[in-house]
Amino acid sequence: MNFKLTLAIAASMLAFGQVAHAGPSIDQYVTFSGFGTLGEVHSNYSQADFVGSLVQPRGVGYTNSWSLTPDSNLGVQADMHIVDRLTGVVQVISRDDAFGNYKPRVEWANLKYDFTPDLSVRLGRTVLPTFERSDIQNVGYALPWVRLPNEITFANSATHSDGIDVLYRVKTGAVTQNLQLLWGSTTDNFPASNFHATGLIVVSDTLQHGDTSVHLAYQSMMYSYGAFPPARLRIGSVGFTYDPGSWFLTGDSNYTRDGFYGDFYAWYLSSGVRLGRFTPYAVYSTTRAPSAAPPSGVTSLGDEHTVAAGLRWDFAKNLDFKLQVQRVTIDSVNLPASFANLQPDARVGDSANVLSLALDFVF
Amino acid sequence: MRTSVLSALMFVLLAAANIRAEEIVVIVNPAAKPLGKEQIADLYLGRSGGLTPVDQTAGSAIYAEFYKKATGRDISQIKAIWSRILFTGRGLPPKQLPDSAAVKKAVATNLNTVGYIEKSAVDASVKVALPLD
Repeated sequence: MNFKLTLAIAASMLAFGQVAHAGPSIDQYVTFSGFGTLGEVHSNYSQADFVGSLVQPRGVGYTNSWSLTPDSNLGVQADMHIVDRLTGVVQVISRDDAFGNYKPRVEWANLKYDFTPDLSVRLGRTVLPTFERSDIQNVGYALPWVRLPNEITFANSATHSDGIDVLYRVKTGAVTQNLQLLWGSTTDNFPASNFHATGLIVVSDTLQHGDTSVHLAYQSMMYSYGAFPPARLRIGSVGFTYDPGSWFLTGDSNYTRDGFYGDFYAWYLSSGVRLGRFTPYAVYSTTRAPSAAPPSGVTSLGDEHTVAAGLRWDFAKNLDFKLQVQRVTIDSVNLPASFANLQPDARVGDSANVLSLALDFVF
Repeated sequence: MRTSVLSALMFVLLAAANIRAEEIVVIVNPAAKPLGKEQIADLYLGRSGGLTPVDQTAGSAIYAEFYKKATGRDISQIKAIWSRILFTGRGLPPKQLPDSAAVKKAVATNLNTVGYIEKSAVDASVKVALPLD
């Protein structure tokens, strides 16, 4: 029901957007755009549900053999040019969430003021730049794979912050740096309780030189969830992308210190080749919780590793199709990153073979 | 017999000459500062601001050819790059104008606008910043 509502909103925005684009005027007040993915996933492992995002309560494998819920989503965005230097943006996303429904939620809504072409301040809800691709993790069209590897985001489910951030771009010789300083708080609703984080600070720098970009970020926040004691979460991440056009190599890594759950580290490495409209790729990703005795008493939280390979086909304008196969190996029976509803007979060393088909579009 | 073979050959050669794409040039306002190739690439890849780049219609031959020559990337990569910028709230892709005449008009009437047109379409209302080879 809610997904259909989002679809209806998107369709009317698209229709309006087409009308708005009809005129040749340079200054448009509002620009509408959007993105989405229609994804179908299959898993042969019936002792757990493979999920597309760690908050999803069910997925494919145990609950169903095939499912649309892990990856399908729809996002609509309105960019508003208010006055010179002041713009606003609202993005609403609908995807299978913690409650198992597609209730549209405001992913972000903020006002941006450009002091100079290189210095801006944003007030409101902005996306968290925790990882190299955290800002586009919902936009399938902008990702080389079907989804961002589940392992890399395991330590941090928060995707946006309510507060203020500063964006500063500086060019030194041939190196361009995009610096970001963010301060805010975030709240997320889950069936069991609410997740609330305050004192959320992120410092991030993306350095770009020619075909290479490096992303460095540090995030810190105090969070509370249900009856658990409040804890500090700190994440340091380093990622890179080398993309000369005919092929690419990209990787991301992070180390997390959670005051209650202990330490985690995760990384992925991926490469792909562009052959005409086809881009075959491969990815290796993993997450490990090395703490021997965290306060939570839960060891090896999330441990798993994945080997994936796939093909992206840019078959038409604004559309792409992806086929991805992966083998996810459970290295722990304590909430492995890609799974929900782990059954009692699941064992360390079990592997799930997962097939994903995805149709991405932007408009 | 020989004449018709010659005619056929000439026809093929002329046809081949027409198929070869026309040279593209990047244009700026006559009173604007000069621009280098790297600056143009940065502008059209969303890596720098200050100036207002405009595009021709996506899907047109000149659009694809411009991006290939100016940035070394093909159009699906360009779309992915701008999708990232758009859907992270960092900006909008360049406005698309219907033809070279519209691009010239936009550049001629705005000091900060940058565009690209066929070399043959250049006239006194605009200045050539860079020919693309």
